[in-house]
Amino acid sequence: MKLLKCPVNGLRPIDEFAYGGELREMPDPQSCSDGEWADYVFNRTGAPGVKPEWWYHIPSGTWFVAERNTVTDMVERTYFRGEA
Amino acid sequence: MPYRLIKFAFSKQHPEAAFFRQPAQIRDSYDAVIIGGGGHGLAAAYYLARDHGITNVAVLERGYLGGGNTGRNTTIIRSNYLTPEGVAFYDASVKIWENLSQELDLNLFYSNRGHFTLAHTESAMRTMRWRAEVNKQMGVKSEVLGPDDIQQACPQIDLSCAGHAPILGALYHAPGSVARHDGVAWGYGRAASQMGVEIFQNTEVTGLDIRGGRIHGVQTNRGNIKTGKVLSAVAGFTPRITQMAGIRTPIVIHPLQACVTEPMKPWLNTILVSGSLHVYVSQSSRGELVMGAALDPYELHSTRSTLDFVEGLSSHILDMFPFLSGIKVVRQWAGMADMTPDFAPIMGRTPVAGFYLDAGWGTWGFKATPISGKTMAETMARDQEPELIDAFRLSRFREFELTGEKGAAAVGH
Amino acid sequence: MSYRLPQQSGEWIDRNLTFSFSFEGKTYQACNGDTVSSALWASGVRVLGRSFKYHRPRGVLSLANHDINVMLENGIDINLRADVLPVTAGMKLDAVNTAGGVVKDYLSVLGWLAPFLPAGFYYKAFHRPRLLFPFWENIIRRMAGLGVMNPKAPRLVSPKTNLHCDVLVVGGGPAGMNAALVAAKQGARVILVDENARLGGTLGYDSSSGLGPGQQLEQLCEEIEAHADIEVHLSSYAAGYYADHLLPLIGPEGMAKVRTRQLIVASGAYEQPAVFRNNDLPGIMLGSAAQRLIQRYAVKPFERGVVLAGNEQAWRVALDLLAAGVELAAVIDLRMDPPPAGLIPPAVLVYSGYCIYEAVGSSGLEGVWACPWDGQGNADQSRAIYIPCDGIAMSVGWAPASALLYQAGAKMKYDEDCQQFVPDSLPPGVHAAGRVNGIYGLADSLADGERAALGALGLSSVINLLPASQASHPWPLVEHPKAKNFVDFDEDLQLKDFATAAQEGFNNIELMKRFTTVGMGPSQGKHSNMNAIRVLARLRDEPIQRVGSTTARPFFHPVPMGHLAGRSFHPVRHTPLHGWHQQHEASFTYVGAWQRPAWYGPDKATAIVNEVRAVRHAAGLIDVGTLGKFELRGLEAGEFLERFYTGHFLQQKIGTTRYALLLDESGVITDDGVVARLAEDFYYVTASTSNAAAVYREMTRCLQLWGLEVTIVNLTGSYAAFNIAGPLSRQLMEGLTTADLKQISNGGAIETQVAGQQARVMNVRFVSDLAYEVHAPAQSILSIWQALVEAGQSCGLKPFGIDAQRLLRLEMGHFIVGHDTDGLTHPFEAGLDWALAKDKTFYIGQRSLKIKANKPLTKKLVGFTLPHPPANLPDECTLVLEQGRIAGRVTSIAFSPTLGQVIGLAYVAPEAGIAGKRFVIRHQDGSDVAAIVSKLPFSGAAA
Repeated sequence: MKLLKCPVNGLRPIDEFAYGGELREMPDPQSCSDGEWADYVFNRTGAPGVKPEWWYHIPSGTWFVAERNTVTDMVERTYFRGEA
Repeated sequence: MPYRLIKFAFSKQHPEAAFFRQPAQIRDSYDAVIIGGGGHGLAAAYYLARDHGITNVAVLERGYLGGGNTGRNTTIIRSNYLTPEGVAFYDASVKIWENLSQELDLNLFYSNRGHFTLAHTESAMRTMRWRAEVNKQMGVKSEVLGPDDIQQACPQIDLSCAGHAPILGALYHAPGSVARHDGVAWGYGRAASQMGVEIFQNTEVTGLDIRGGRIHGVQTNRGNIKTGKVLSAVAGFTPRITQMAGIRTPIVIHPLQACVTEPMKPWLNTILVSGSLHVYVSQSSRGELVMGAALDPYELHSTRSTLDFVEGLSSHILDMFPFLSGIKVVRQWAGMADMTPDFAPIMGRTPVAGFYLDAGWGTWGFKATPISGKTMAETMARDQEPELIDAFRLSRFREFELTGEKGAAAVGH
Repeated sequence: MSYRLPQQSGEWIDRNLTFSFSFEGKTYQACNGDTVSSALWASGVRVLGRSFKYHRPRGVLSLANHDINVMLENGIDINLRADVLPVTAGMKLDAVNTAGGVVKDYLSVLGWLAPFLPAGFYYKAFHRPRLLFPFWENIIRRMAGLGVMNPKAPRLVSPKTNLHCDVLVVGGGPAGMNAALVAAKQGARVILVDENARLGGTLGYDSSSGLGPGQQLEQLCEEIEAHADIEVHLSSYAAGYYADHLLPLIGPEGMAKVRTRQLIVASGAYEQPAVFRNNDLPGIMLGSAAQRLIQRYAVKPFERGVVLAGNEQAWRVALDLLAAGVELAAVIDLRMDPPPAGLIPPAVLVYSGYCIYEAVGSSGLEGVWACPWDGQGNADQSRAIYIPCDGIAMSVGWAPASALLYQAGAKMKYDEDCQQFVPDSLPPGVHAAGRVNGIYGLADSLADGERAALGALGLSSVINLLPASQASHPWPLVEHPKAKNFVDFDEDLQLKDFATAAQEGFNNIELMKRFTTVGMGPSQGKHSNMNAIRVLARLRDEPIQRVGSTTARPFFHPVPMGHLAGRSFHPVRHTPLHGWHQQHEASFTYVGAWQRPAWYGPDKATAIVNEVRAVRHAAGLIDVGTLGKFELRGLEAGEFLERFYTGHFLQQKIGTTRYALLLDESGVITDDGVVARLAEDFYYVTASTSNAAAVYREMTRCLQLWGLEVTIVNLTGSYAAFNIAGPLSRQLMEGLTTADLKQISNGGAIETQVAGQQARVMNVRFVSDLAYEVHAPAQSILSIWQALVEAGQSCGLKPFGIDAQRLLRLEMGHFIVGHDTDGLTHPFEAGLDWALAKDKTFYIGQRSLKIKANKPLTKKLVGFTLPHPPANLPDECTLVLEQGRIAGRVTSIAFSPTLGQVIGLAYVAPEAGIAGKRFVIRHQDGSDVAAIVSKLPFSGAAA
């Protein structure tokens, strides 16, 4: 089982975590077009590479961001959103 | 003893022609290029040639034929979906499957076993009823059965599931079948090749030539090709190709794992799926139990295996079949599933003229191989999707008109 | 006759402890420590198994679990591997997959049919005519398979353990033992694992090296045993490599999952068979198998034999055979090289530059035809020599046991000097040592082990200490027009099958594997992949390096599902009232992991009617402790809820409750609940049972995203709750509290004492217009509940379960998320427009609803009644049809005892969703049932 580093609890087995998907910036709902909004809601950056993602440490209820390589599954770093 | 084998035995020289012509050189241009030499790509090539007379076609495969999800799935074929659009589409596929061995003159071991989706909760029973009613309405044989019927079809099963999740009933789908997955790619490849299609293995697409909103060719590790029509049928590699095309899609890649036991004499004659226990199992004609479970929970472009997968799967299989605890798992593997938000495929034209997508096949692609090949060939030939796949258009997301297959496929395969 | 030798110095058997066992109905003797194969071989039994496809007689090949010539069943377990299965007293064993027993297997007739059954034959036939395929398939299925599974076999529950170490060493041969010792001496905590019953590896049987099972092995074993930081696991194998250095060790009793910082793979190499006609006859075995028979089990491999040599190892095998009293008829050397100095056996015929062209015999080896050859597979039959013999020991080459290295991400390269794949690059934290590295010879292996250990501890970074040290013949394969020269013993694949496959276009290693099935049998190519790669390289006229290898997936050896499953873990959640429910005849149902009362009493139908009646005419109590329960505190708590849910919460009055509807970003309904404002900066929020965890998770994510000053506390587990509903509920509650409940009768909420306990009381009208939800700390809920039960005893208060609750809320016209909605339902379809605040700048899903609002509705959730209900009601999820097309479905339906009629909720076409309009439900039996759209709530329901 893979290990993942929670910024609070350190290295833990991955079954203690839930995946929250790619970290995406929401466009301004007031000013964006329907097309831009639909792109935000449904489309993803599916191509492989290092991406920031939401991860959740279930036992402690901690959300954080992991920059992970989606090919090698290596996690480059983890941090709280906004603390990049 | 079948004639083919007798002929084989008494031939001095090898009596069988090569399955695929393997031209040494890729030509400068083709009428159409298909990216992906799996079942879908080769089927599309076959139907382009057979139904539309388009034979000047190159199929480009970065690895070997059928080496992607075609050769990694658990080969279940069924049409008991939840949405009318899904049922009609997969039913059309089943109808082609039934005669495919004869059509391609290759024994695909299309084996009709019957498919049980087990329900362990009242809420799962409701979903089974929903699927059964939609199926019946669409002329597809599905019915809700009780525990006694399940026991009769599979006398070995422990209906109480070790007391943890008693089976309340099942959706029974009589047409449910399994087939030899590799053979499907080989059969379509051979038939397409015989009609003039050129197949190139170890040929990776590295770029797309798109100008003025239209495709003009592809770049490969073996040179550039000019063409006005390109089909991407690459399942788990779709995001790499759509990135080259500058097209955004909802597709996210998740590994889907499976495993197989040592062979044993036949005892399991049906295909069993349990949504609550997240497992499915059938017995291959070689005698192995072929087993799978839920999708891996996070995005990964890899076919690595995990131990927790096979631990969890074994635990759940033993809940149903406690006598298998001494049976050994020989091998585990994974495929890369191209998942969509509504668990329905993405098929048809794209914002780039002449560039067609056959993708979003998640965990349900194998069974669709014949019909996706046929409909994508038609789409390419006419630059217009047949009605059968309209619900699967890429633009449905922009239009907020999702297809809603999630309820059936989440536990399916 | 007995082939047992006099005592060998390092033998594994205990001659003082013998017992009998049966094989194929006959009784044999074994010593403690024998495997089934060694005991049978010692007893002179030669046909131990039958091959998979042609049912050819098979004996010992590797005696190391690198082939499956001998597979057994005992009535419970199947596919037991005789080569490594220890004999125990009274065992009753049979060979798998024979017809009429292993000796007279009448399916051996299939051998004559072999020309009709080339590789991939099943693709070429049996599909025409289509209707006959099931007949053929049935035959093929019954011919295939190995053992006969016993459906009465018991479920074995084996324990799992978790282990951690600094260095895991896989393989207890000289390299591995030394690596473990060196690492431990440097202060590392080491686990050393070996699949054999004893440490030593080649050191334990390759005795003519002059160093054999003597002092060196004893010394290493003693040192390892004496070292406190080395934990040794014997009879265990590392089944696979998984991310971040996790390796399961599979032992006889179960699985130990090892997480290690550094991994040293010293797993050795598999000796490879030579390929010549009838190379599978019993009596023909690998040189190392002959050595194992002699040194470990004191069994003479055969009486008169030849050694087939392709490398230096062969000469040591020859010396071992002589020492064991075998009459050595000849050494047939594939090469022209002279025997290595010091290893020349006395007075033995040596045929240099010869191959074995063909072995002769029916159920055992009787002799061989040896011919001079060109070293490329072609024998010169004109100069053939016949040598009568009953055994061949083949030592012609090796293949590394590199599965774990591949799985860890190592790159391998083909070393032409030793004709073996060796590591080219290794991933971080993974090291290789010994034969898997191409390092042969004792001194070199020990040194390589030390080097790997130092590498693991960060003290060295070289992959190979030494160049690969033993050369083998590059092409130990001989053509024969009559074939039966087997490359894969599991699958009965002959040399010509590969040419066939390549000719038909399967000339890629992966395609060839799939077409011929080479390496796909239970031994997973351990003895066959290397030769298959050689054959393909030659067919393609390319170097082996370019042909490459197939992917080595887990497992290294197959793993029983019982070991993988361990003790199954099925978590169940109970509310604090669970004991009370049990005492009161509750029938439970699962809602997620929660067990909730479905109804109380012996008979479901009567129970539900009585429970509904109690709520409508007196009062009822339902345990709702499974709801999600959250406290939100802080000055921006209102703002948070305003963004999270669709409604208004900033202006919500203190002491009131509001409906909370949660959407996802695409505007789909995901949950609903109740928000109670208990103070200016303090809200108490509930979520549905099945979504509680997800809602809390999303709340905390949004909190981080929005950066608001709010604290969220999840009380789902620490708080409990129940709902008291019905006309007498206020009266009963008022008897237990001083609070004025009239004050909260219109959706209010207060904190007060109930039955002497601190509680939150909310007017939640899900099942009845008069109803209170009481929330209190888990430890105090039972006393409040009991006080109410006692108070209500005289007036007809009853506990009710979720079945009655479903009916009661249906009478009220309330939908349930997930029951009456699905994964795409949005508020307009569910008739929830009223729950959407119109004047907010943002809530989750709002922007998507703006898009959906501009699109025509396709269906609408409505209430309905059945004017002429059939005796057997339509099931939930039967379809609503509109001119034969699917317009929607029934989501809820039941006979309402209160209203005396059948009521329900259904999705219908929007234009049909007007009260009084008729629509059609397609009953599951195929008939049509008329329904009438009804206003909600159903009139006369609430009480």
